[in-house]
Amino acid sequence: MATITCREFLNYLEPWMEGERPPDAHAHAHVRTCSHCSSIINDLEMIHSEARSWSVSEQDAPERVWISLRAQLEQEGLIQETIPASEDRAQAAAPRTGWFAGLFPRLPRPVLAGAYLAALVAVAFALSGPVNKRVNEARWLKGTQISTSPLSAQLNFAEQNSNSYVTRSNPVVAASLHQNLAIVDNYIALCEKSVSEDPQNEVARDYLFEAYQQKADLLTQLTERGENVQ
Amino acid sequence: MSSYHFVPAQWLPKTNWKTAGLLVPSLLLCSVVSAAPRRQEQHFKVAAHPVITIHNPNGLITVKAWTKAEVMIISTPASDRIEVDAEQMGNRVDVSTRELSDSVAPDDMRADFQINVPEDAELQIHNDAGNVSVANVLGDMNVETVAAGVDLEDAAGYLSVKTVGGSFTCIRCAGRIEASSISGNFRLLDLRSYHVWAQTSSGNILFNGEFLPNGTYSLKNYSGVIEVRFSPGDSFDLSATSLKGKVNNEAKLTPSPHQRHFMPRWGNALFGTFNEGRAKIEMTSFDGTINILKRD
Repeated sequence: MATITCREFLNYLEPWMEGERPPDAHAHAHVRTCSHCSSIINDLEMIHSEARSWSVSEQDAPERVWISLRAQLEQEGLIQETIPASEDRAQAAAPRTGWFAGLFPRLPRPVLAGAYLAALVAVAFALSGPVNKRVNEARWLKGTQISTSPLSAQLNFAEQNSNSYVTRSNPVVAASLHQNLAIVDNYIALCEKSVSEDPQNEVARDYLFEAYQQKADLLTQLTERGENVQ
Repeated sequence: MSSYHFVPAQWLPKTNWKTAGLLVPSLLLCSVVSAAPRRQEQHFKVAAHPVITIHNPNGLITVKAWTKAEVMIISTPASDRIEVDAEQMGNRVDVSTRELSDSVAPDDMRADFQINVPEDAELQIHNDAGNVSVANVLGDMNVETVAAGVDLEDAAGYLSVKTVGGSFTCIRCAGRIEASSISGNFRLLDLRSYHVWAQTSSGNILFNGEFLPNGTYSLKNYSGVIEVRFSPGDSFDLSATSLKGKVNNEAKLTPSPHQRHFMPRWGNALFGTFNEGRAKIEMTSFDGTINILKRD
């Protein structure tokens, strides 16, 4: 069956994430067979659900945000803390337009709109920060695991095979290789721990990848020497 | 093989005990001599910039420069079950140790070498165990070992050293140095190199040499100690980062005028310039200690 390319599927991606499924059967077939595109969809769904869970838990801005905002506006003279008695009466007679309007009775509308916009931005930033951080960390961790898991499995497999090779080579050389392999394995474990604790830590990730490289080099040497003596 | 097989049995009854008393120790001596290492000396005439490659599983390899336009190889195999091959292909001399039978014990796979080369020779040495020592050779050099230590003195050119557990010492070396190991310690003393890249995982790195203008010095390990020594007249830009370890500094650094460093989000870091900042030093460790100390 003819299918579509990844580039063509990008045209369907946005409606797909909105829950709309295209009638084109090729698009469905592509998602089933293309690991790259299905991985993108999984990532986006994970981000989406993560963001949704955070927005559910903190629907309203915390009270401290409004207190802080009011204090800032008062400090800059944009609002007054006390209301004159005459105006207080008039205000009492007027219909209530909500707690937010009562908070800023004498503020010009443009200033109020600007402050409101600033508050919205501040709230959005305050809410999106932890979400982005957690989503980013999850993505980093997942990305690191995706790149290292197959590598780790392959290296462990190679290590099991290489152990049988080196038994007949020079004992000093064999001992050195095994001793250093243990050192590298220990570093891999420590680096993996650091990366899982702080997935965005570039230094730890660099050290982890270098440790994998060293392990691969060591296993190559073990195998080469084993083949030489067999 | 026993040397008694060489003595016809019918001789013994005719021989008196005094003669036998002299004959037996002599035969035993012959037996010992025949099993002794066979020292071999070979000479090869070479042109300028010869290449010498050495592949040896185990042993002491000592290479020294001399003024003659020839390569002299003195090899001493540990047993008669191995053989040293040395052959010349144009301006290249290849030396290798090979086993003469399939069942050679690891202890017998050992040969020691004493080699003299022209000082502009290029060396490629592969020696798993034992030691490699090179002095006064100014050509490029590539040395790979597993457990063998590597000692270079008064070397120059492009020096590449790779060990697994062997230590590396470089004294009065110049040129470009690249060294890597997993558990080997590095000692870089009285260097005059414009480029040093040294990386070991659990080993220590000691750098006590000149920081040449426009030189770059990159020292990296996982654990262990990285130590650099500086003099009041040195001039360098310095960056030292230890993710989980300490950075100890005795240099009075000023903010770098050349480049802007962003403080890393992780670990302990130190950036700055000493004097004019002509050389560039980068030291990185995962959980090791970095020491920047005044030279005694």
